[in-house]
Amino acid sequence: MSVAGASAGRVSPQAIAGYGVAAVAAVLVLYPVFYLLQAAFDVGDPQIRPPTSYGVDNFEALFNYPQIMLNTLVVSVAATVMALVIGFVMAWILARTNVPGRRAFEQLMVVPYYLTPLLGALAWSMLGSPESGFINQVWRALGATGSLMDINTPYGIAWVMALFEGSVAFVMIAAVMKSMDPSLEEASQVIGASRLRTMLRITLPLVVPGVLGAAVFVFAEMLGSFAVALVLGTPNRYYVITTAIYQLIQQYPPRVQVAAAMGVSLFAVMFLMLFVYRRIITAGSYATITGKAFRPRVADVGRLRYVLFGLCMLYLTVAVFLPIATLLYASVQKIAVAFPAADNFTLNNFTAAMSMNAVRSALTNSLILGFATATIGVVLMGLLAWLIYRSKLPGSGLIEYVVMFPQAVPRLVFAFGMMWAWLVFPILIYGTMWLLLIAYLTVFLPLGVRTIAGVMLQIDKSLEECAQMCGASWAYRTRTVSVPLLVPGLLAAWLLLFIASVRELGASILLMGPHSKVITPSIVESWFGTASELTATLALIQTMVVAAAMIVMMMVTRRLGALPVD
Amino acid sequence: MAHKVHGHFTRRALLKASAALPLVGIAMPNVLAQPMSKSPTKVLDFETNADVAKAEQEGQLVFYCHENEAGTAGIMQGFNKDFPKIKTSYVRAQTGALYSKILAERQAGRFDVDVIQLSDLAPAFDFQKKGGYEHYVSPESGAYKKDNLSSPNGYFFWTGVDPAGIAYNSDKVAAADAPKGWHDILNPRWKGKISCKISASGLQFVQWYMLRKLYGAGFWKEFAKQQPHAFDSRVQLYDRLAKADDTITAIGEYPAYILFKSRGAKVEFVAPPDGLVATPLAVGAVNKAPHPEAAKLFVDWAMSKRGQAWYQTNPNLYYASVRTDAPPMPTGVSLSQFKLLYPSDWDEYSKESPAFLKEWNGMLGL
Repeated sequence: MSVAGASAGRVSPQAIAGYGVAAVAAVLVLYPVFYLLQAAFDVGDPQIRPPTSYGVDNFEALFNYPQIMLNTLVVSVAATVMALVIGFVMAWILARTNVPGRRAFEQLMVVPYYLTPLLGALAWSMLGSPESGFINQVWRALGATGSLMDINTPYGIAWVMALFEGSVAFVMIAAVMKSMDPSLEEASQVIGASRLRTMLRITLPLVVPGVLGAAVFVFAEMLGSFAVALVLGTPNRYYVITTAIYQLIQQYPPRVQVAAAMGVSLFAVMFLMLFVYRRIITAGSYATITGKAFRPRVADVGRLRYVLFGLCMLYLTVAVFLPIATLLYASVQKIAVAFPAADNFTLNNFTAAMSMNAVRSALTNSLILGFATATIGVVLMGLLAWLIYRSKLPGSGLIEYVVMFPQAVPRLVFAFGMMWAWLVFPILIYGTMWLLLIAYLTVFLPLGVRTIAGVMLQIDKSLEECAQMCGASWAYRTRTVSVPLLVPGLLAAWLLLFIASVRELGASILLMGPHSKVITPSIVESWFGTASELTATLALIQTMVVAAAMIVMMMVTRRLGALPVD
Repeated sequence: MAHKVHGHFTRRALLKASAALPLVGIAMPNVLAQPMSKSPTKVLDFETNADVAKAEQEGQLVFYCHENEAGTAGIMQGFNKDFPKIKTSYVRAQTGALYSKILAERQAGRFDVDVIQLSDLAPAFDFQKKGGYEHYVSPESGAYKKDNLSSPNGYFFWTGVDPAGIAYNSDKVAAADAPKGWHDILNPRWKGKISCKISASGLQFVQWYMLRKLYGAGFWKEFAKQQPHAFDSRVQLYDRLAKADDTITAIGEYPAYILFKSRGAKVEFVAPPDGLVATPLAVGAVNKAPHPEAAKLFVDWAMSKRGQAWYQTNPNLYYASVRTDAPPMPTGVSLSQFKLLYPSDWDEYSKESPAFLKEWNGMLGL
């Protein structure tokens, strides 16, 4: 039944599930995209909807922003390269070597991702600003002049982005590495290849889908990255597409149409990248989970393991410990400076933060939304990944392009499409938590599908085919063969979706209603409107609450992961 | 120090306003339904035409506001303290995004908001033209000058003004070297060390408009050579000033100066002799509001001496009240002691918006 039984004249459960989930994804994505395209081609009065006239003026206006396009490209490419290097090296160390404390490091590697780039940007701004940065204050106190570092540069922005997105790259690449049969690497070493040669010739090619998936995903994240560029770029008049869009939609009258055209143009870039990605993965076979049993093993790297241990510690220090310590230190000061003074000490920031009702309800809402998005998302995106990469249903390839769209368009802009779309929807969704749930499920489709697909591509189809030959129905073999093999990928996707939802900023800013506030925009608001010390406090509180939620979730998921499969 | 120029409405603007009423499907303001003969009720220490019992029965107030999160929450906290039976909620965004949001909602037939506060009069006029405001004449209007109310009265009022001069870091700049007047912000010694606001700021628009009128178009071309750093909010400007990331700011708002001075920051404020640029903050009840009595009650409260005292003394607001009987600001200074610069013809000012956006965004590399 290779074409879903359509030829047999009846509709199979496989086809119903496949097309059903495709329809949901299409509605989630294409419905707001329609409004986004409408805005991008709207050349009439921006305050009147639906548009009164159409044209390409908004796209022509993009040629007025060559410097912004160049800035975006420089930052995104630099950050993607750095993030992939971090992700690949850390994944290799923790998945394939006997580095001390491997298990603990593996747990800690996800921490930078839930710390959020916003927290990182705030902390690194306090550390590396040319005048007030703690590092530079200490530098000058030692007798030097000028500044040791300047974080407000393109490479400073890329560095902070990479520190936090490196964690995503790690999760995506490590999931693939862990599922790889170690006998392939062992065979290489048995016939005399060095560790480095084995890593480059065996490990690297086998993790190509994971690395490429991570590259496409991380690059898209960088293109759409907002918080870091806002905090670190704008002080130095360095604008990228997202911060330019932010300015365009904040001003009066807002230039939403040009912002929409900017967002839509990015899709062309992503479309090209996705096309290349598909060509590469369809050209080769990357299945390493086959019917042949294997036991995951790691290589003994001898004394090198202490160097690798140092690398892991270094990464976690600059991405986790240092930023948290900086924010903690700033949160107990009236005005954040490098050197402590008794009269500058205060606990008022914590009192003020805890007394903010909006923040308390926003935190609760964020956690509820994170849980709902991750749970519904894993099912929806797991089915979509299966549909795209496994089902052979006609048109399934097209779905991948649809699913990628939200990744390609900055969320700030995509949110306008969603706002217009769900405003006119006959069921009352606008202004409620449901709108944010729908928005998160939409914008995180690429994240979930990519993560699950990275693992799915490694599972040899022969396992499912074998079950099919034994007479198992589609539903039965999905439950007993595919899903159990996918459990690590599904759990990783659940955690990623949970974290991504809790830290979401771009779409939430516009879609929050008076009764559906979430936490990250509140922190940005605080950065705009109160003081960096109170903002540091809020970011710390968010981190602590999310960390507590994550620990609970990880304990639960570990139990689930340990459940025997019948 | 005395007021210099006051705003007024042209006849042409009024004619245009009435011609544009049916736009975007927004209903005509319900002027006739206004219970004109009803005598106001005294509640706490102010007067209102709202039915307080009904407002409390409605039980909610939804507020859209340009102000930062802490400031918006502060306004709601003040009202809720006086009327605990009315639960408050709000949405805040910069004026441009906020105005887009409310227009989109109304065009889609969604009426979720009761009261709106904007930081720029240009969108307030536009909203009035589109018939977005509920016409409600507050009994507290008598305490305001005609120029500080919408024309005709009853659509919006100035809940305060935000005056701005120049501010500097006193650790980095000696008082003798500090700027004295607006021309001093063009001194090349501040190049790369000076800040301003982004084009989304209504106050920045007023400053651009007024100083261009005073000193000619070349003033801002010279300013562009200073390579200023631009930010969203007054707090960011002072935060950077306090930490010496910038040495001076070309648009130091007085309310933020009070806030940072109270925190012990080494910042000083300069009032240029030609005047402080100032922007009014416009508050009005929205028509088809889901909680109309609560909306009216809020407008009366915000206009009252009580509400104005709250706006004027809340650390996240410190708005200067334009009520004729307003007490001095927390620093002991009265608004009337400042010479204020704001447009005399708001209609002409609104039309200059595209020119401002082009010059300002161009200067900032946008």
